[in-house]
Amino acid sequence: MPTIRLENITKQFGKGSLAVDKLNMVIKNGEFVSLLGPSGCGKTTTLRMIAGLETPTEGEIYFDDECVFSDEKGINLSPDKRNVGFLFQNYALWPHMTVRKNISFGLENMKWPKEKIEARVDEICKTMRIEEYKDRYPAELSGGQQQRVAIARTLAPNPRVLLMDEPLSNLDAKLRNDMRAELKRLHATTGSTFVYVTHDQSEAMTLSTKVALIKTGVLQQYCPPLELYGEPSNLFCADFMGNPSMNFVEMHGKKDGDSIILENDDMKLRFTPNDKIDVKDENEYVLGIRPEFIRISDKEKGIESKVISSLPSGMETTLSLRTGKTTLSAVAFGSIDFAMDSTEFFDFEGKGYVLFDKESTNKLSLGSLQIIR
Amino acid sequence: MKKRWNKIKTFFSKPYNVLLVLFIIVLSILVVIPLISIVRDTFIVHASEKSRVHQAVGSFTTYHWKRLFASEFSKSLLWDPIRNSIVTSAWACVVSILIGGSFAWLVSRSDMRWKKFLTKLFIFPYIMPSWTLALAWKNFFKNIEITGSNGIFFSLTGIQVPTWFAYGEFPIIIVTGMHYAPFAYILIGGILHNMDANLEEAAIILKTNRLRMFLRITIPIVMPAVLSTIILVFSGAMASFATPQFLGLPVRYYVLTTELYASINGTNPGVGYILAMIMILISVVIMFVNQRMIGNRKSYATVTGKSANISIFHLGLWRTPISIVVFIVVMCMSVIPMITFALESLLSYTGVYDFNNLTLSFWIGQAQGHDTWQSESGILRNPEVYRTLWNSLRLAFTCSLGAGTLGFLAGYCIVRRRGSFISRLVEDLTFIPYLIPSMAFSAIYLSMFATKRGIIPSLYGSFAILALIGTIKYLPMASRSGVNSMLQLSPEIEEAGIIMGVPWVKRMARIIVPIEKTTIVSGYLLPFISAMRELSLFVILVTANNRVLTTLLLFYDEKGYTQFSNAVNLLIIIVVLIINFAVEKLTGASIEKGVGG
Repeated sequence: MPTIRLENITKQFGKGSLAVDKLNMVIKNGEFVSLLGPSGCGKTTTLRMIAGLETPTEGEIYFDDECVFSDEKGINLSPDKRNVGFLFQNYALWPHMTVRKNISFGLENMKWPKEKIEARVDEICKTMRIEEYKDRYPAELSGGQQQRVAIARTLAPNPRVLLMDEPLSNLDAKLRNDMRAELKRLHATTGSTFVYVTHDQSEAMTLSTKVALIKTGVLQQYCPPLELYGEPSNLFCADFMGNPSMNFVEMHGKKDGDSIILENDDMKLRFTPNDKIDVKDENEYVLGIRPEFIRISDKEKGIESKVISSLPSGMETTLSLRTGKTTLSAVAFGSIDFAMDSTEFFDFEGKGYVLFDKESTNKLSLGSLQIIR
Repeated sequence: MKKRWNKIKTFFSKPYNVLLVLFIIVLSILVVIPLISIVRDTFIVHASEKSRVHQAVGSFTTYHWKRLFASEFSKSLLWDPIRNSIVTSAWACVVSILIGGSFAWLVSRSDMRWKKFLTKLFIFPYIMPSWTLALAWKNFFKNIEITGSNGIFFSLTGIQVPTWFAYGEFPIIIVTGMHYAPFAYILIGGILHNMDANLEEAAIILKTNRLRMFLRITIPIVMPAVLSTIILVFSGAMASFATPQFLGLPVRYYVLTTELYASINGTNPGVGYILAMIMILISVVIMFVNQRMIGNRKSYATVTGKSANISIFHLGLWRTPISIVVFIVVMCMSVIPMITFALESLLSYTGVYDFNNLTLSFWIGQAQGHDTWQSESGILRNPEVYRTLWNSLRLAFTCSLGAGTLGFLAGYCIVRRRGSFISRLVEDLTFIPYLIPSMAFSAIYLSMFATKRGIIPSLYGSFAILALIGTIKYLPMASRSGVNSMLQLSPEIEEAGIIMGVPWVKRMARIIVPIEKTTIVSGYLLPFISAMRELSLFVILVTANNRVLTTLLLFYDEKGYTQFSNAVNLLIIIVVLIINFAVEKLTGASIEKGVGG
């Protein structure tokens, strides 16, 4: 199982449209990496370049120390020589072949002996729980079954890397959840390197060991999912991760010793950074507050607000609170409901508040908040 | 009783029900009764048969059936034409799939040069009348033994082509195949183009080599398109009249259509009517086979995959040579025929390709007043030509108005009552004319409307009969596009109007028609173009009175007026191209994307 290294990978379609811009990334052996981003951000292009289905305009790709692509050295290994598996979004099952034939076709290409092919097909069909459909055609299978056949076909030759292009996006919600669990287990049992493209942040969060968040061809942040959630490196990352999404409050800030006094028409807060940071005496900031860090509290401690909406889902209730002109979403855990237009008080707890510089949109620091009356 | 009456009243309060009932009545008169009438016609004595049957005109006879199936003439009247029809049609399928399929593959899967330009020209034979290539072949290869003068090929090379090459089976196959090659290209190319590129990429990732991928993945997936091409080309070739007429007649090579034409125009229409029935039967069998095959065929839903530069096959060293060969073939199919028509129409004496022999007199020359054909006035000065041109345009206009309007209305009410018996019945009725080969269909109309029937006077030789048959024959084309477009329009759109109390006429005029504008326009234009280049449908129904341009061409050709026939041919092609160009500009839809035949 190799380590995949992308160095300065750039892909340009036609003139001017840059799909991927100088991407540097290392995917370590055995990792489950998600390429995440809004549609058209270049994540699928990146995956296809790793597979060799797309040719980068510039840069180099290494599998361990073997160079599989380099525009300077003129190396471009064709897909069949890279020993990767590729799972297509629409499965790409061959409609004129049975399930058995779909799976064995690739093995025949590798000149496996007949008995070995049969054994492997049986084995993989058992793993993927599609034994009873072996003699059916893809058109006679449901979406979830087709999906499993596609995975079986991809895994059958034991590829050292498994590349997946939004493989769950054509499934309904329930099936998608089942397949997520199945994929994660598959990753654990095969020990292969998985590279997974998705636009669904919760999918990336739940599945991967590392997430690469991409925006218009530029890598924004590459780290484990919880780190991406908790310590987003800029406003885009913060906004992309989490549902309901992070609250952003624009505030004017004044330096006060180690902390910063943040103020707008509706609130005055003291932000104390977890680690010391160097800031200007006065600056414009954006304060990022995760909904779950807003706590419903009592009158003495909290800020007064009005309940704009209350959406209980049983396990938790998503609230919209308005104070002055600022609207914040908050999550209250447990089975509780709030009356519309009722008055509630809230305060802040913990150290997970993120301060962004308004101009550069970059994260300055994580810290804690205190209400100043 | 009251309840029943109320039921009927509710039924007819829905405009689409009224329309459906009207369609059933009209189509019964214009499609079903003629079909019965032709059966009757195979058992009676016609005016021109008095001397051979020796019975009173109109009396019952089995003479025609006996003559066709159980006489010394059945071989030449029946079995030879059937064999010839099947042989030429089958081989035409092979030719068209080879040419069209390879071209489709080269365009969508290889790095052949000049793709854009070549595709534009390759579609040409499809837009042009079916006999274009046949006439060009004749101009090129005709030989002195049969026609009395040599063609362009001889004057260029000095080689006398053998008769089998110039006339009969071989050229009919090649020419028909080439005419339908764009068909194969459009169908097969469409699948190759829309085929999910991931299907091939999946194979490559699994280490499939190019050849194996082509044989095991690509070919099986385009197979359904190949089969539908075969069906279309085969039935098209079976029904084609002009090509075998131009290329087969000089060597007495008859297929079903030309035999039918000869019988009906000759002294034995009864035999012609039986031949027409046989043609309908064959066509029904083909359709039946097609239906069965569609039922068994696994549907290969094609989803357009993401960009697929991997699938481009690099021709390498062969790139330029292959491109040049394709270029030459395409030129032979599209541009060179035009040149031969222009050239032939300018020759003072046929067969002499000499600069001094060129004249414009067949275009603009004045009549000399003598009684020879060479002194007839040029076609641009000939009032007869203008009269037929006007007649053609008028006819095409009427047919397209009729077929387009009826087709749209039929589509509307079929979709509104979808699933009911009455809607199925109308859908089937509008489809019948599609099953009947043009020539057989006009034979039916001849049998039905040649004499006075009840309140309908004899229509033979009138403009009305041509307009009627054109409208009905092109109805399937228009109603199919009507049905398809109405299916995409959700009924809620109209229901929103019903709830607000908008009356039906206003709903149609203000809601449905504006939304369906483009489809309606193409529903009118397809029949127009088809009617402009139609020959086999009209040829047995015209007299000197209601002649159209295409039959004028046939008339000149039969008389051996080569220059005139080439000039008229060029005129037709120019008109068709102008209209086609106008259509593309006006609607953005091109004919090759439509359903036209």
